[in-house]
Amino acid sequence: MSRWKKFLLFFSVMGPGIITANIDNDAGGITTYSVAGARFGYGLLWTLIPTTVALVVIQEMVARMGVVTGKGLSDLIRERYGVRTTFYLMLGLLIANFGTTVADFAGWAASMEILGFSKYVMLPIGAISIWILVTRGSYRSVEKVLLLACLIYIGYVISGVMARPDWAVVMKNTVVPDITWNSEYIMLSIAIIGTTITPWMQFYLQSSIAEKGINKEDYKASRLDVVVGCFITDIVSFFIIVTCGALLFPHGIRINEASEASLALKPLAGDYASLIFGISLANASLLGAIIVPLATAYYICEAMGWEAGINKSFSEAPQFMWIYTLMIVFSSLLILMPGAPLVSIMVTSSVINGLVLPFVLVYAIALVNDKKLMGEHTNPSVYNYVAWATIAVVIVLTAVLIVSTIVPLS
Amino acid sequence: MPLFGELFLSEILRKPVFDPRGDITGKVRDVVVVKGDPLPKLSSVVVERNRKSFAIKWESINLFNKRLISTYLNADALSAYDFSDDDLLVVRDILDKQIVDANGAKVVRVNDIKLEGYEDEAVLIAVDVGMRGIMRRLGIERGSEEFMRLFKTHLPYNLISWNYIQPLKPKLNAITLTVPRQMVSELHPADIAEIISQVPREEGAHFFKGLDIETAAEALSELEPERQAEIIDTMRAETAADIIEEMPPDEAADLISSLSAEKAKEILEHIEREEAEDIHELLGHEGDTAGGLMTNVFIAYPPDITVKEAMERFRKDAEDIETVYYIYVVDDLEKLLGVTSLRELLLAEQEERLAGIMETKVKSVTPEADELVVAEIISKYNIVALPVIDNEGVLLGVVAVDDVIDRILPPAAKRQRRRV
Repeated sequence: MSRWKKFLLFFSVMGPGIITANIDNDAGGITTYSVAGARFGYGLLWTLIPTTVALVVIQEMVARMGVVTGKGLSDLIRERYGVRTTFYLMLGLLIANFGTTVADFAGWAASMEILGFSKYVMLPIGAISIWILVTRGSYRSVEKVLLLACLIYIGYVISGVMARPDWAVVMKNTVVPDITWNSEYIMLSIAIIGTTITPWMQFYLQSSIAEKGINKEDYKASRLDVVVGCFITDIVSFFIIVTCGALLFPHGIRINEASEASLALKPLAGDYASLIFGISLANASLLGAIIVPLATAYYICEAMGWEAGINKSFSEAPQFMWIYTLMIVFSSLLILMPGAPLVSIMVTSSVINGLVLPFVLVYAIALVNDKKLMGEHTNPSVYNYVAWATIAVVIVLTAVLIVSTIVPLS
Repeated sequence: MPLFGELFLSEILRKPVFDPRGDITGKVRDVVVVKGDPLPKLSSVVVERNRKSFAIKWESINLFNKRLISTYLNADALSAYDFSDDDLLVVRDILDKQIVDANGAKVVRVNDIKLEGYEDEAVLIAVDVGMRGIMRRLGIERGSEEFMRLFKTHLPYNLISWNYIQPLKPKLNAITLTVPRQMVSELHPADIAEIISQVPREEGAHFFKGLDIETAAEALSELEPERQAEIIDTMRAETAADIIEEMPPDEAADLISSLSAEKAKEILEHIEREEAEDIHELLGHEGDTAGGLMTNVFIAYPPDITVKEAMERFRKDAEDIETVYYIYVVDDLEKLLGVTSLRELLLAEQEERLAGIMETKVKSVTPEADELVVAEIISKYNIVALPVIDNEGVLLGVVAVDDVIDRILPPAAKRQRRRV
């Protein structure tokens, strides 16, 4: 009993970091990595190391805030910066996350088509089951589904190994940057950072840690959870790039979508690799589609002081239920509507994500250095330099991404 | 009289304060309030000029309304203000913070604060927790009202009178009124548990400490084990022991088993011997068996007493016992002989002996029985409590139907709000 209990305790602290990290590789992320691998082979692998460092630095701060204050990031921003700031931030987050949800449902529809199902049947089924799972299911059932879904990411690792890459070259490219100075290369390397460090993740991570009620004493375990999670995210990204780099790049196959990767793999690597890619994409998309709308509804309602909770009804928590439901309904309708401007919605969403991110990061670092809030747990000064530098780099790169999205480089 | 009628804090924030010469002394940044009777009142207005803060005492304020704020003092004669933790500042400490709406039993956020003129003073009369407050802060209250009118509806006012407010942080105790504490204790323990599970753990623990021991024990029973342990961890062992003594032994045992070994030992040392023994007995059983679910306080009488005698004893014993519907009949060695119900006892002849009215075919389980088996038996035979006996037939305890239901179907308040 006691060993089992210790194991459970360990698991009760472990979790938020790993789950957040897994959902980070949603449809948008997988697309970016697949495209990067197919277009430049292993040429972009080196970006994963600095990205992981940046991710660890930022997530660790946010996790620490969650543990010390016991509050979510949206709560802290509301209490410190007032309703106006919070309102516009949440509005931005709502639009950006709506785009993310659309991308996730698009990923689900595309992967279902690959696996031989009609999207007109599978998309409504997916959307309705998500809605029912979350609003009618108990927390336990939701958690079981999520944990199971996290396991399926191993599929990418398997397909990476099955692709039989030249490991010596892979390792060299991971450590030694081999920068190609063309706009597409630069855009993709920035996109890798943009898809890895997103605003909603910071909110999600901090609230799930606060929600777990992790004590300051258990913070070390929690930090390990966050760091392990960041590594898992980038290991999965690594194997996606390796798979596409080993199989698609030598044949000069260009792709624009994660689902195209799955199709292109079929003649080259056989049905299994293609199937693994298809199923993993379906899984990642669905996972994102479960979490992103739910998380959005939570942060907004908590920041605004509206009743929130999946066990509440429409009359008890109207704003919460409507935000959650409408995000799912509109995203699915957009995907099913022929000729819907999907691409421009996703582009807009990534631009808004990029616009919101600097604010979130700057608020986060200002809050984490607030002595009144954090006591002795503020950043040590060396750590602050690293954190500010990371944030500055992320902000500059996102700014470049935004500008070039609006004014495409020729 | 500087303030007539009422105004909202958001209507004066960042407004200039003029001096007698018409110069701007600064812009309103915050207001300091102090305890007043019957409501907290403004003691000074904090203004900001060139990034420096100054305090203007309420007595020096000439006009105070949403169009114009002015002071008798000259702009260059103001005294500097240092933000002190001892002062209660409305913007810093109340606005945008979470509070408990004691009447609705939920946690809400303060969107705006309503002030009213009362005998030369400006007092806080209510907080705005509704959409209107948010819209007013965003400066679009009127616009949204006209927008809503298009749909033939209107923005609802959602004000909570200051009397119904229970600040969560101890800091605000300076102005806590006596009414809210009582109101909170009048809430249903399940509602209190719901509130505690909605706020950060430290605030939850503070909130909890304000409850009287009985309410605290009941509310604690409604919380989930991890949360219970967190709250108990923040308390002194004596206080924790007092609360745990109030809980039924089975729930107390569950709680103690989820604490760290030292804390559990420390608390058990402070619990009265008799109760501590009961809890000790229960600690030995696995949580998901009949032994783990049962309580070892129940009503059991010898077979040879009369109904009249049993009733007299019952009146004394029933007060401290959770499950009173059945009266068990045991011999000198505490072996279970039979059972009778409260109803049969009431309907029986006064002189009849318990042996004569008891049912001898009693359904029972051993402590190792799984909780699902217990649930099946309770459901199949429609009984309210199931006795647990050892191999010799000695009555160890009873599992009440509500304990089983809690296991199979956790009540809403015990469910985690979110963890996905």
